[in-house]
Amino acid sequence: MTRHTRILMSLIYWAFIIYLFVPLVLMVMMGFKDSKFIGFPINGWTLQWYANVIQDTQVLGVFAYSMAIALATTALSLVIGTWVACFLGPNRFRGKLIVFAVTCLPAVIPGIISAISLRIFARAIEIEPGMLAIILGHTVHNVPFVALVVMARLATLPRSHIEAARDLGADAIVAFFRITLPYLLPALIGAGIFCMLLSFDDFVRAFFLGGYEPTLPVLIFAKLRSGMSPEINAISTVVLLLTAVLGLWAERSMRRLNKGA
Amino acid sequence: MARSETNYAEAGRASARAALGKDRRSFWGRLLGNELYRAASAVLFKTERRQFWLLASFPLLWVFFAHLGPILQMVWISFVDSYPPTAGRVPQLTIANWTSFFREAIFVMPFLRTLAFAFVLTLCTLVLTYPVAYFLAKHVKRRHQLLFLLLLLIPFWVGEIVRTYAIMILLGNNGAVNLVLKFLGLVDRPIPFMYTSFSLGVGIIYLTSLYMLLPLYSALEKIPNSYLEAAADLGAGSWYRFRRVTLPLSKEGIASGCTLVFLISTGYYATPVLLGGPGTTVFAETIAGFFHVAGDKWPVGAAFSSLMLITTLAITGVFLKLMGRSGKGMLQ
Amino acid sequence: MGKAIVTLDRITKRFGDVTAIDCLDMEIMAGEFITFLGPSGCGKSTTLRILGGFEKPDQGRVVVDGQDVTQLPPNRRDVNMVFQDYALFPHMTVGQNIAFGLELKGRTRSEIDKRMAELLDFLHLEGLRERTPDQLSGGQRQRVALARALAPDPKLLLLDEPLGALDAKLRGQVQVELKDIQKRTGKTFFFVTHDQEEALTMSDRIVVMNAGRVEQDGTPEDLYFRPRSRFVAEFIGETNLIHGTVAGRDNGAIVIDWNGLQVRGAVGEGGVPAAGANVTAALRLESVLCHPQKPDGANAIPGRVVHRLFKGSRTALDIRVGEGEDAVLKAYMDATEAQRIVHENLWVSWDASRLSVLRD
Repeated sequence: MTRHTRILMSLIYWAFIIYLFVPLVLMVMMGFKDSKFIGFPINGWTLQWYANVIQDTQVLGVFAYSMAIALATTALSLVIGTWVACFLGPNRFRGKLIVFAVTCLPAVIPGIISAISLRIFARAIEIEPGMLAIILGHTVHNVPFVALVVMARLATLPRSHIEAARDLGADAIVAFFRITLPYLLPALIGAGIFCMLLSFDDFVRAFFLGGYEPTLPVLIFAKLRSGMSPEINAISTVVLLLTAVLGLWAERSMRRLNKGA
Repeated sequence: MARSETNYAEAGRASARAALGKDRRSFWGRLLGNELYRAASAVLFKTERRQFWLLASFPLLWVFFAHLGPILQMVWISFVDSYPPTAGRVPQLTIANWTSFFREAIFVMPFLRTLAFAFVLTLCTLVLTYPVAYFLAKHVKRRHQLLFLLLLLIPFWVGEIVRTYAIMILLGNNGAVNLVLKFLGLVDRPIPFMYTSFSLGVGIIYLTSLYMLLPLYSALEKIPNSYLEAAADLGAGSWYRFRRVTLPLSKEGIASGCTLVFLISTGYYATPVLLGGPGTTVFAETIAGFFHVAGDKWPVGAAFSSLMLITTLAITGVFLKLMGRSGKGMLQ
Repeated sequence: MGKAIVTLDRITKRFGDVTAIDCLDMEIMAGEFITFLGPSGCGKSTTLRILGGFEKPDQGRVVVDGQDVTQLPPNRRDVNMVFQDYALFPHMTVGQNIAFGLELKGRTRSEIDKRMAELLDFLHLEGLRERTPDQLSGGQRQRVALARALAPDPKLLLLDEPLGALDAKLRGQVQVELKDIQKRTGKTFFFVTHDQEEALTMSDRIVVMNAGRVEQDGTPEDLYFRPRSRFVAEFIGETNLIHGTVAGRDNGAIVIDWNGLQVRGAVGEGGVPAAGANVTAALRLESVLCHPQKPDGANAIPGRVVHRLFKGSRTALDIRVGEGEDAVLKAYMDATEAQRIVHENLWVSWDASRLSVLRD
């Protein structure tokens, strides 16, 4: 490629980065504005809104609620997703394609349909809207991602390793826990963090499956319906920090583990 | 004993006698030796077939119950006249829920609008992100690619609500864009970007660009540089190379990306509510409307939702067929 | 020695339309180093896997030390395997790898430690106990794989082409080491390879397989100097093939008409074919002796060198002994001796027992 094209391309990349970050930066800035009114120009700066948020027990409670849901659904999704992956991965059987397609289904359906169908289903199996419903709904949504990530990693495990373990006296259970599971660890960590993020950020499912207590995105949405306010900025900034840290930490540990294993 | 018995086994046994009682045995060793475990696994793992079904039972149950179940249930209740069931009333089968869609313009319009939007936005996202993906795949050294990608990923981790809010701040009457325009003296009064198709479009493109970028990057990265070098060697100019080599070889990435973005953008609910206005109602809002009231409206909502599902999947299927691929098995 | 530790009783295995093993029936003696040799697809690896329990035969039984193990899975057999890629568990240290089988047998920690110390010492792996497999060289990994397989003291050790990943020089060294280990432990080694040189170097007994059937079963010398079929003759070492017709017998040797010459060879198992029948006989290159002058004794014919190739330690000669197209014998000669042959004329002779008549 010529130098001109290269420079042009580079500019396009950085322009795109700016395009992605600017709205978020603006939002963060707005959280420091010394005024109840959201908008430019910013004349004064204050930390008051952050102080409010940190002390606001309602917000903290919602935060913890979202976290709890994220942790619960991550645990469930990892177990179920790994089980599905171990079943689908190495085995060949008739109808495998169909099972695989149905496994991926929740990930390809438009969000509103996923949420609505889960809401109806919850009613059908008599689960009240609330924490359990959200956890199950998130799990249904997360399992395809976990399964895909784990299947990809599982495919790189040489068959001879499992055979060697069997040869030395391991039955299927021991071989799984002592050989397969340690090998899958990087994938599990990556998939786990991804589940946390998906659950924490999710709106549609939490909105339709939730009870009286909102999750964080639902809370922000509700507040936004009644108009913008600096508290929302403060909350959003905290979410931004948290998810950025979580995401980066995931990338780093996955990188390290993939090198070791 | 046979001559093949070595000193090693004997030494092992001797030391076992010497260290009786104080030694630990591995957990797994004890498990395999445990009477109960042996009895259970003798029954459970008796044949390969049995092992297979033990492994398969839960995943199959889960996948067909939890993944397929909700869809089937939704389609099912779209054909009854009352859900959730009320006491003393037997639900009747009916197709009125489906036909009611076609009778009212306030149902049809959002539906068509949503689809049209999704088409246009998918195209825009493709055009917008293709150069970025190309730059990443071809112009950045392999070692740095991960870093550059990471930078792109960070804004996406924060979630749709926060990012929608950020767009609101950007496009509002007192938002950053208007501030800059005013500052540059281009306008006297702020341009009302918000609550229009434009703001909604910007928002959705903002939210979905990664889903287009990643498949594109993945496909472009797989194209060996040697192909392009060979083409250049044979005399092809850069635009020609792009059109005849790069573009066709990235077809799979384009297909994946477009499919993902199309499906995701039809499914948004919060973003249209926050960024759009009365003239931009999308079908998601229409559907949701039926579930905010209790009683008989759920079946209608279910019907509309099913209709949307069928339509979007059909469109996706046709699109993938046109692009020459065999369907939704390939999400990587 | 002398006791059969493994019996393969009429084993047949099919994969779809392909018969991988066709009615294999043989015994393996305790303490012997037996090698299954053949090209890819001959059935040697399938036999290995059936012995290990990774495949089940369609017909037949596998008996190990008196116990019918045919239906038993790999973890319940007293048979261990060294895999082609070693399959060392990457997340465990050398010590943990070696201890794996013993732990699962329920041995105590001190027993395991003692055995491990012996094995580490025996296989020259001292000091490597805490290393992980990615920190080891190819040869070290191979020894760890061996230690791991030997630790549980199996009745039979299977080795699946374990030297393939090593470079030539290391391979030679390891061959000697492996043979030495086998002798010292007295274990029965079942070795699979496609490299005939390797098989000849290490084995007490070689079974040559071809398309699921046993071509020949014998000691390395047997197979080398007395191949019984064309396949074996061509697969092992370099050989001259002599196509002629039977002329008769002479003092226990068979006389063959070949290109107008009368040559003598060893009578095979199947007895002497009828006079006039077509036969093929094999003669190893080393068995062809070259003399500048006519030697005493029968079985010498005159010839002319038509091609020579200097190979360092020796020279390869093509010697024409008759008019026919195939009347050329290949032979090796010491390089300095070869220089003494001028005018390209010489005499070739061989021991009649070295010319073996082939089945086909």
